[in-house]
Amino acid sequence: MKILETIFLLILVAIIMAAGNSIGYQINFIDSLQALGMLVIISIIGFLISKLPLFKKLPVILWVSVVAAIMSSPIFPGHNMVVEITDQVSLLAICTPVLAYAGLAIGKDLALFKSISWRIIPVSLAVFSGTFIFAALIAQLTLHWEGII
Amino acid sequence: MEILKDYRVHLLALLVVIMCEFIGKQAIWVITVYPMLYAMIIGGAISLPKLKILTNKNMHHASSVMIVTLMLLIAKLGVSVGPKINEIFNAKLALIFQEVGHFAGTILLGLPLAMMFGMGREAVGATYSVAREPNIAIVADKYGLDSPEGRGVMAMYVCGTLYGAIWMSILASIIARLDIIHPYALAMGAGIGSGSMMAASLAPISDLYPNIAGEIKAYATAANLMSSVLGIYIYILFSLPFASFLYNVLNRFRNKKSGAK
Repeated sequence: MKILETIFLLILVAIIMAAGNSIGYQINFIDSLQALGMLVIISIIGFLISKLPLFKKLPVILWVSVVAAIMSSPIFPGHNMVVEITDQVSLLAICTPVLAYAGLAIGKDLALFKSISWRIIPVSLAVFSGTFIFAALIAQLTLHWEGII
Repeated sequence: MEILKDYRVHLLALLVVIMCEFIGKQAIWVITVYPMLYAMIIGGAISLPKLKILTNKNMHHASSVMIVTLMLLIAKLGVSVGPKINEIFNAKLALIFQEVGHFAGTILLGLPLAMMFGMGREAVGATYSVAREPNIAIVADKYGLDSPEGRGVMAMYVCGTLYGAIWMSILASIIARLDIIHPYALAMGAGIGSGSMMAASLAPISDLYPNIAGEIKAYATAANLMSSVLGIYIYILFSLPFASFLYNVLNRFRNKKSGAK
């Protein structure tokens, strides 16, 4: 996707998220916009890094989370401010537009879904459950072993 | 700028979001349903081809915007990592080992079931991973998308898009309520490597433990980060060959059994 269009889309979606955040979580719209503005900045930095020649090999999501982790950790001078501002937006308020757009795109996959055998449904539920349950169980054992829980 | 100018999609998204946030979260039996789930269901209903509200082009635009929205979601999760960076380093072994669960769990639970249902080599493509975009690319590269393995991974991709997030949210909410696994471990389990599925499973967990919601987000994000860094290599070097090997072993067993009858 083009760089400029992605940046504009980030801003547009951020406004929708801020609206949801003030309606659903009683945070005033200006604070919500500020929080989203910070997340937009982080996303743009991560996105631009992912466009660099050597960094292209890894997904943009990875670079965004690395930038976010660095900007919120003590090695970054303004980390307190970053955390404080972004605390004003609820994770849930961000998820709603993500899945709203995902929902609006569902129609195009329905025809394909109808052509698939019903057997894939139980199998897919087992696959999604498997990755969550096995990882949680191993984490439980190793966290216990490391003395963290 | 075609996607940005598709006002029909953006206006509908805004309306859906406002409506869902007004309703707020609701508890149904042991399952908590969040606005994000109604948003997906209402969005899906609007996009039904029969209603003719959205064209195929609109839907493709919505799907591209979804990828962009994921950046903001990941940025929000990412800023929970910094303040907890020391805790995360203390749990480094757990973070490394739980990835084994992520990468083997799909195969161990999915493949035997797929074979019980009589699936052929489709089962390998369908169960070697959670079937997101990179996983399709890997199968396409090795077997081609017209192969049984390719059909398997594509079918799973569609399932994940349609109801992956909904299912993860229900599953996480039930398992978290059982209270046998520590919320940190559950959080790591939620770091699947798919943004929307992670968010959907994380919400009920952090809601049940509001006092440590920050840590929960941080652990999930760190696990997700590990999944996406290691993912591509592990899928190519371990998951796909292992699924294929296990298929061959189980298939020999299946053939013997049906031959004996």
